[in-house]
Amino acid sequence: MLKSTGIPTQKDLESVIPSKERLAKGPVAIMECFEKIPCNPCYTSCKRGAIKEFEDINDRPQLNVDICNGCGVCISNCPGLAIFVVDESYSETEALVKIPYEFLPLPEEGTYVTGLDREGKPVCRAKVVKVQNAKAQDRTPVVSLAVPKELSMVVRCLSLDDYYSDNTIICRCEEVTLGEIREYIRKGYQTIEEIKRISRCGMGPCQGRTCSQLILEEIAKATGQDVADLKVHTHRQPTLPIKLGLLVGGEDDE
Amino acid sequence: MNKTASVVIIGGGISGCAIAYNLAKKGVKDVVVIEREYLCSGATGRCGAGVRMQWGTEMNCRLAKYSIEFFETANEELEYEYDIEFKQGGYLIIAATEKEVEQFQKNIKLQNSLGIPSRYITPREAKEIVPHMDETQILGAAFNPKDGHLNPFHTTQAYANAAQRLGVEIMKFTEVTGIDVENGKIKGVQTTRGYISTPVVVNAAGGYSQLISKMVGIEMPVFSERHQILVTEPVAPMQGPMFMSFSQNIYCQQTPHGSFIMGRGDPNEPRDLRITSSWDFLEEMAKTCIRLLPPLRELRMVRQWSGLYNMSPDRQPIYGPVKEVEGFYLACGFSGHGFMFGPVTGVVISEAILGEEPTIPVHMLGLDRFEKGELILEPSVV
Repeated sequence: MLKSTGIPTQKDLESVIPSKERLAKGPVAIMECFEKIPCNPCYTSCKRGAIKEFEDINDRPQLNVDICNGCGVCISNCPGLAIFVVDESYSETEALVKIPYEFLPLPEEGTYVTGLDREGKPVCRAKVVKVQNAKAQDRTPVVSLAVPKELSMVVRCLSLDDYYSDNTIICRCEEVTLGEIREYIRKGYQTIEEIKRISRCGMGPCQGRTCSQLILEEIAKATGQDVADLKVHTHRQPTLPIKLGLLVGGEDDE
Repeated sequence: MNKTASVVIIGGGISGCAIAYNLAKKGVKDVVVIEREYLCSGATGRCGAGVRMQWGTEMNCRLAKYSIEFFETANEELEYEYDIEFKQGGYLIIAATEKEVEQFQKNIKLQNSLGIPSRYITPREAKEIVPHMDETQILGAAFNPKDGHLNPFHTTQAYANAAQRLGVEIMKFTEVTGIDVENGKIKGVQTTRGYISTPVVVNAAGGYSQLISKMVGIEMPVFSERHQILVTEPVAPMQGPMFMSFSQNIYCQQTPHGSFIMGRGDPNEPRDLRITSSWDFLEEMAKTCIRLLPPLRELRMVRQWSGLYNMSPDRQPIYGPVKEVEGFYLACGFSGHGFMFGPVTGVVISEAILGEEPTIPVHMLGLDRFEKGELILEPSVV
């Protein structure tokens, strides 16, 4: 499969993906190099000696995941752009994926892009956490993306377009689109409480559980603020919708 | 950042925004509205949003009638880009006691004399208007098809947007920390975002109005009282009017969006500035609602919240200038009805500031009425 499409198979990948335990410990390089070619800069660039010395220059790299600390030096040194670093300890829900990216323009830190899989298909919205483009990268910049943890072994490239379009429904309860949210923000409704009141986002049965984070991110993006500095909306009881009949001692829902 | 204004209005609810709009419409420049949080974050945005002409005093009937007639054309008049969602489905006020029957018949006579098309109806007629009610619980009802309810967020925003187009500055997320008075005259307002020199301050601070008056040394005989409310999931349209009872303690409306909003008063509610929510409210509210409107037991409530009634001794607003401080105007003490009086508040306060002949003679609603003992108690309040 790899030979005709350039896309590794599941079996190929299994041979290079470290154990769950190792991944949970923190950043580690993933050497997605499946072709025997005369090439060894990964070995020569690794100062820790985590990559085994090549007996034959045509060998594929052998990584000792216990020595590798995921520093990422090898990423820019790989002419085949075949090395990534994955940090599954990044946050509770997200993993950090470091990707070599040789296209222009480069994404900006703090913006949202679309995470692409190995076939180039969009799979998620991803935040650009860092863009490294120093002399050491030698024109192979490294982009760090925060992606949903379950996609840490899926996202391997990015597209600068936002994953969501103006038609994407942000509030499923009240069917409010991202385009509408963006328009409200442009018009000056720049806190989540104001957007809630003007658009009904967050007033439905889910009480903002799905939409509020997405809206906060849009506000942050549009106003240049850090999402962590934004006030979240007031959370009110009940957690789940309750029948009035139940409140007076009636039958529970199914 | 220091600046100068001709009028500073404290409070970005319906009253403050309506006053600002009316002043600007009359050509007043440099009007500033100060709001501690976002627009309608206080009582306006927390209210049940019903508007009714069915009152027990002539004054309240006239104030409400004026306001509702404004709401009928507000989208156009304020050139609002969205919709204030005015649903003129009437108010059905049920009479559950003999005393209420008597009071309503008296009220309707008064209302009719003021051009309000309210009428007394039988339980059967009431059932035709609200088919899911238990008509055996009532002796009769008062109904006015011109009453209704609307969206308080959009209504406030409509006023605010129109005011801003006319040059009004709205300072959100700005708190008033003090008011300077010199020789009995208003001098300026201290805020968390700088000083504003101004000869005129309007206290439209809703549940916090007594704190603002205190800043100029005026103790008002008002207090704030928590009132609670809940909203259900949306369902297909089934209820036209606001359903209400004074003796049974309920108001309940279905918004155009489909959700039911209902609330009640409770004499044991805290009389401070707390806007927390209680479990007891849910239970009592659900009991009353299900007894009078049985099919609603199947509705799921999705959220509860509370807000402050700014209660005056006679449950009527406090309007106009005060004799103690020149340039200080009151638009407060609405006792739970500030939203529905919003349009008329905007008109009469702007007239008072500009020294114009009032559209409705509200001089009897001044603060000094409490000193003089000239109270006219409003009997019809939930």
